[in-house]
Amino acid sequence: MGVDVRHLAKLARLRIEEDKLAKFEKDMESIVAMVEQLPEVSGDASGLDPEHPMKLREDVEGTDKLSRNELLANAPKMQAGCVVVPKTVE
Amino acid sequence: MELYEYSAHELSEMLADSKVSSEELTKSVLCRAKATDDKIGAYITICEENAIEKAREVDKKRGKEPLHPLAGIPIGIKDNISTKGILTTCASKMLYNYVPPFDAFVMKKINSADMVITGKLNMDEFAMGSSTENSYFKKTHNPHNLECVPGGSSGGSAAAVSAGSAVVSLGSDTGGSIRMPAAYCGVVGLKPTYGSVSRYGLVAFASSLDQIGPLARNVRDAAMLYSLICGYDSMDATSQQREYPNFAELLNGEVKGLKIGIPEEYYGEGVDNSVKETVLNAVKELEKQGAEIVNISLPSTKYALNAYYIISSAEASSNLARFDGVKYGYRTEEFTDLTDMYEKTRSEGFGDEVKRRIMLGTFVLSSGFFDAYYKKAKLVAFDICKEFNEAFQKCDVIATPATPATAFKLGENIGDPTKMYAADICTVTVNIAGLPAVSMPCGKVNGMPVGLQFIGQKFSEQTLLNTAYAIEQLNGEIKPAEL
Repeated sequence: MGVDVRHLAKLARLRIEEDKLAKFEKDMESIVAMVEQLPEVSGDASGLDPEHPMKLREDVEGTDKLSRNELLANAPKMQAGCVVVPKTVE
Repeated sequence: MELYEYSAHELSEMLADSKVSSEELTKSVLCRAKATDDKIGAYITICEENAIEKAREVDKKRGKEPLHPLAGIPIGIKDNISTKGILTTCASKMLYNYVPPFDAFVMKKINSADMVITGKLNMDEFAMGSSTENSYFKKTHNPHNLECVPGGSSGGSAAAVSAGSAVVSLGSDTGGSIRMPAAYCGVVGLKPTYGSVSRYGLVAFASSLDQIGPLARNVRDAAMLYSLICGYDSMDATSQQREYPNFAELLNGEVKGLKIGIPEEYYGEGVDNSVKETVLNAVKELEKQGAEIVNISLPSTKYALNAYYIISSAEASSNLARFDGVKYGYRTEEFTDLTDMYEKTRSEGFGDEVKRRIMLGTFVLSSGFFDAYYKKAKLVAFDICKEFNEAFQKCDVIATPATPATAFKLGENIGDPTKMYAADICTVTVNIAGLPAVSMPCGKVNGMPVGLQFIGQKFSEQTLLNTAYAIEQLNGEIKPAEL
């Protein structure tokens, strides 16, 4: 089955260089050809494990608090205590 | 004998009896790491100063207050586990400069036990791979043969323990990423039951499959470390609320009456004959000690690899959407607008394998393909769980090879993704079913270690460790590889 790598890359916010496109196409096609071999099964795919149920935590204020500066320390670009990004609204 | 060669449980006693200080021990391990890492490449970051400082602190505490049995023992940490104030790269250019402002749950446990962190260990980028060749920073070599891969994705964690450049280590296992490198490097690797170790602070790859676990040169060390890191954490919604025993204290090699299931599907085509033979010989030794062999069948195994790559990639494509160059990590230099910044950042920051997984995940979740791929894969996953449950009506543990062959050469599979994926065939079912499994060295083929995998029911880690311990008692504890 053909795989439209350019389209997939766009959906995933990736860009594949032209000179690598053919190799990616070949790889993705062989991967898809491998994984698509699945049996015809039907049923409900929303499975939960009833014997080991999960429990949601209480919706209370967290105790692990981080300061604004700690959180922003890793930001690639920062100004006046805010993360800087390109203009998004014209 | 050098200090780095001892096991954690021996060192624990030596430290308690003041026969050795943590500072001497830590220096021995760091010295070994620095002397061998040019050849092995296990470490991305070595935390020399912090480690020695921590060791001195533990030495001062000793005798004044009660200490954890693992206090003062050096441990290496896979580089996808968040360590406060210590670079955590996931072996990716995307996080080349990321210093977490918080500790993962397991790191809080490690710190509360006063273990000494030697550094952060190499891995496949974002834990995607089976050879650690996908690291942005360096290749890791197998201490048993430097031309061979250490396995992946926790290749650095297995190689460091095998080489003696860490006493024990933590890895993570999404489809075999602890067990497979443990098998290739000839060490013990435990993938715990899903939900028994908190994933809080583990950089997410496939959240329904990821689990943190220990690697060690012997079963007791692995049991001690597992006892430390397991337990409920409210910060992980999938964390199980239950009590855990002290696995190391309850350790015994008693296998009399133990029913060991042998699934034919794990001994078929694609599995190396000499590996099969080595594994079955070890199982026969257990039979001599009173274990009972039961033939079982797990027919959906043949679809497991396909289902695994669909489910894990789908989750990865969603989890890795957070890496956009805005809040942390790499950001591209030049861009025209926000979309351009996203696309260039992600294209430059991620390696090719990560891109393939993201695109595969995007593909199987995209409109028109969801039912044919993702939904079917989830249904196959239920069949796999059901078959395991049925099998455990007939046996207590299941014994299989941990890998279809011993470690392959660097570069051998890197050009062919599907060939690389096939190396995971013996391990992925365990993650799909959320079960625990241990990989235990059980012999060698052409000088390279063979891993025997024991799979158990949920929360049966004690049985698995005991069975592995029976193997260890036959063969003896592992010593660091000679380099």
